[in-house]
Amino acid sequence: MLRLVLRGLATRKLRSALTAIAILLGVTMISGTFVLTDQIDRAFVQIFEQGNAQIDVVVKDKPPFEDQQTEVYLDADVVDRVREVDGVALAEPFLQVQGYLVANGEQLVSQGGAPNFVFSSLPQAMNPYTPIAGRLPEASGEVAVAKEIAEQGKLEVGQAAQLATQAGAKDVTVVGILQFGDGTTSLGGSTSVIAPFADVQSWWSLDGKASFIYAKSADGVSEDELADRVRSALDDPGLIVQTAAEDSAEQASELNALIGRLIRFALLGFAGVAVLVGAFIIFNTFSITVAQRTREFAMLRTIGASRRQILGTVVGEAFVIALAATLVGLVLGLGFAWGLNRVFELVGFGLPATGLRMPWQTVVVCLVVGIGVTGLAAIGPALRATRIAPVSALREGAAPPRGRLARLTPLVGVLIGVLGGAGLVAGLTQDIGTTQRLAILAAGAIAVFIGVAVLSRYLVRPVVHAAAPPITAVAGGVGRIAAENAGRNPARTAVTAAALMIGIGLVVFVTIFVGGLKESFTGAIDDSLESELIVTAQGFGSPLPLEVLPAVRAVEGVQVASPVGGTPVQIGPGTFALIGVDPTDIDQVYSFDWDEGDDALVGGLGTDGALVEANVASDLGVGVGDAVDVTSINGESASFEVRGLYTDEQFLNGVTVTQEALKPLLQSNATGINTLFVKEAEGADSAQVQAAVEAALAPFPTAQVQSNAEIKEQIESGVNQLLVIFYALLALSVIISLFGIVNTLVLSIFERTREIGMLRAVGTTRRQLRRMIRWESVITSIIGGVLGVLIGILFGWVTARGLEAEGIAFILPIGTLLIFLGLSIVAGVVAAILPARRAAKLDVLEALQYE
Amino acid sequence: MSTTEAAAPAAERPTGDVVAARDLTKVYGEGESEVRALDGVTISFPHGQLAAVMGPSGSGKSTLMHILAGLDQPTSGSVVVDGTELAGLNDQKLTLLRREKIGFVFQFFNLLPMLTAQENIQLPLRIAGATPDPEWERTLIEAIGLGDRLTHRPSELSGGQQQRVAVARALLSRPAVVFGDEPTGNLDSKTGAEVLELLRRAVDEFGQTVIMVTHDASAASIADRVVFLRDGRVVRDSGRMSASEILDTIKTLE
Repeated sequence: MLRLVLRGLATRKLRSALTAIAILLGVTMISGTFVLTDQIDRAFVQIFEQGNAQIDVVVKDKPPFEDQQTEVYLDADVVDRVREVDGVALAEPFLQVQGYLVANGEQLVSQGGAPNFVFSSLPQAMNPYTPIAGRLPEASGEVAVAKEIAEQGKLEVGQAAQLATQAGAKDVTVVGILQFGDGTTSLGGSTSVIAPFADVQSWWSLDGKASFIYAKSADGVSEDELADRVRSALDDPGLIVQTAAEDSAEQASELNALIGRLIRFALLGFAGVAVLVGAFIIFNTFSITVAQRTREFAMLRTIGASRRQILGTVVGEAFVIALAATLVGLVLGLGFAWGLNRVFELVGFGLPATGLRMPWQTVVVCLVVGIGVTGLAAIGPALRATRIAPVSALREGAAPPRGRLARLTPLVGVLIGVLGGAGLVAGLTQDIGTTQRLAILAAGAIAVFIGVAVLSRYLVRPVVHAAAPPITAVAGGVGRIAAENAGRNPARTAVTAAALMIGIGLVVFVTIFVGGLKESFTGAIDDSLESELIVTAQGFGSPLPLEVLPAVRAVEGVQVASPVGGTPVQIGPGTFALIGVDPTDIDQVYSFDWDEGDDALVGGLGTDGALVEANVASDLGVGVGDAVDVTSINGESASFEVRGLYTDEQFLNGVTVTQEALKPLLQSNATGINTLFVKEAEGADSAQVQAAVEAALAPFPTAQVQSNAEIKEQIESGVNQLLVIFYALLALSVIISLFGIVNTLVLSIFERTREIGMLRAVGTTRRQLRRMIRWESVITSIIGGVLGVLIGILFGWVTARGLEAEGIAFILPIGTLLIFLGLSIVAGVVAAILPARRAAKLDVLEALQYE
Repeated sequence: MSTTEAAAPAAERPTGDVVAARDLTKVYGEGESEVRALDGVTISFPHGQLAAVMGPSGSGKSTLMHILAGLDQPTSGSVVVDGTELAGLNDQKLTLLRREKIGFVFQFFNLLPMLTAQENIQLPLRIAGATPDPEWERTLIEAIGLGDRLTHRPSELSGGQQQRVAVARALLSRPAVVFGDEPTGNLDSKTGAEVLELLRRAVDEFGQTVIMVTHDASAASIADRVVFLRDGRVVRDSGRMSASEILDTIKTLE
């Protein structure tokens, strides 16, 4: 029987290859994802291990609650107590902050969102950076830079530059060019500048503070031993003492949780879509070939093959195809990961690099998915093959019997679809964890796709009947035949179209969803802001220097410059933003969307009143008159009385108090100003005011000035970039579905060989024949495209309704949708090229005599 | 696409040869495995004749028909169909020639299963982008006696009915010649007789030229002329023969 399987595959090479591709591409994506994220994981581990290679013990602050976005600091003089511990050879305080160099008029910042670090200098014995030119900075005003920045800014030792700090631009001299670790580790696009500890303290308002205390052990004292000694010597529950190994592992896993997991999750999601599409195609291919081989199976049964053996032949074929496809896909995954690396590099988000490796878990996962999915998709058709009666061998045009449950098909389709829809609604509205939510949403979406695929067979005939007259008008007599051919086997056409539907449906969905997301941002700017300019600080939520406020207020043409800032606080078990506004002028730049209360409340907030965003209030379960108790990240507490409720998911999404009330709860170096909303004077020239504000802020290079329109543009281009990435990842699924159309056409043509011979004999030209097949393909792809667009709209609508509270709008981009429909027609034309050529090449005589 | 009108009735055509072949040879393979399927056949068929081509299997009768109909190329020799020399025509021109001048009736009917009987009849003209002459179509439909089944699909028709539809399909464009490839080969004798009767009427009443390949002696007995082939050569070319004469001749050939 195995020989029969292999022989069968060999004689149907094209079909076997096309089927293999259906599963291969999905496996490639899974394999590539694991290879890529494994690379990222290992790279981060390597970075932190090399960073800690010269030290043995790390002391850090233990905040009352965790907040990834916020840096915490400890008192720098803890170092004195660490130095006294027996076995400590060296101990130094260390600071890491965000900042960058400005040299030759160029800001030497990372591309694509990697952080820009400034590190305090450590003695060489503890420093992961070593000079390859010059030396480490010692005196105030000296800096050394990583070699990557030196290359980027063409910096040389001795060169004058400016360091963008929280206290504005500071004049510095480059005294060294450094390499990190052994010089081979990529830092993934982040930039690093090393400055003396005292400079970092004073320029980032961190007097008396340190990020960490690093200690190096004397000979013969192990890391663990030293950590124990330091821990008991300090005896402070507000501090964490770790070995360097524990610290690097923790930092690496934190970053991986942020970045590696995100990429893995997203890519695996898209890979899952590709696999789903592949499953549809495999199901369809096997259904068709089982039908075509009815006589063959019947003949095998007449000569004594058991049902089990028939099942074995079909499943065996699926297994061999899946195994081959999975193995090839695994290898191609390496190429996929390599390609993604290049793509990330191109968009300026260089991933930290180490060599590509194929973790053994990847091989297992891919084999399980590849063979499992193929097996599941092929089992239905295989069971059908076992029900073929031996007597079919003697009949012409025999087909396998309909399943016993065939009558129930429409019911099952409706049931699956409705369950899926219910899953989607539940996933969006139920109060559950993110992982469960995504799982339910994914299962719901898959069920809807399957339900629609099952039901769409009842759509095929009506669509074909509607489409036949116009197609006949355009394409002549062969158009009619093309339409009839497409409608001949509705289940086959429906499943082929459904594969395309999934890809198109998700493309439409992300377009609508991301469009709504964009609208929620840009709409908020139009709705909430009365100001024209926004001043923010570069870098993740870094504060603006306090001096920025008077500088902007002094600019001619500026009527109001109102500061807004925030800090994470713990309220009950959750973390929320505590936002400080200036009660005297916030109402001139920002309009509250009041649920309860009015603008009059703002002026009287004092230091004990708060306004709470409506969704936050409902999360907290508080209303007007209730108290909100907050704990800041440096351990301070305060209590506020809720005075009013408003809705705003974008700008003031948290608990709003006055700047005065915020101040005592701020982190050591925070200024309480993250954003300035700037309103121009009546009749002022906008461009002039913006230029004047920019000029006034020249001494503060981290402050960036944008008009509302510029911010909207920035959001738009960010959103478009996101869409391009989504499209690129979904394109793979669409491509797989094209192979599905090709496969179905090739198989259908094969089955109609004699008809084609007759058509040619009675005067159909090759061109007409090609056109006929092209139209059949286009009809299939249009069905897929229309269903996909409809499902995408449905998903988009359900999501927008579910996230209405989040401010996600539902907007139908009609033009874009028409483009997608057009593209699905193009897809049909492209898919028909190979099958049409094969059909046209058929020799008339051979085709006529074909059985 | 050419939009020729349905050709003029065959009866109005000038008399003379519709199909003429000279010195046809067809050789398959090379060297020791060489097979001469046709070995110097010269034959012509005048207008309004119903001719049967007979011979044992391997005699070359099917090859001859395929070459005469422009479905296959001879190794040497020439074929003229209704004044057009086939040698040197490319696939496109051969296709158009078949479309305009040749009709086919196949052993296995070869109707499109998703089209109705009437649509199948009209198929070649539709492909050519031409409109059937309604009067002629009505005449044909009457002749095949399926007026009440025109909206049926092939799967709802008996074998004989399907073949009658196929004959009508071949006749609708009034081709210069209709080729039949074992038109009764897949039918029982009664329904086969109906189809033959139909072909006979096509020649007698409509002036059609029909050339059919058959190994069925009773089919050949309705022909105006019976041509016998053996080993790629014409061994006997006679006028109308009775079924028993034909059977006797076949015996001498085998």
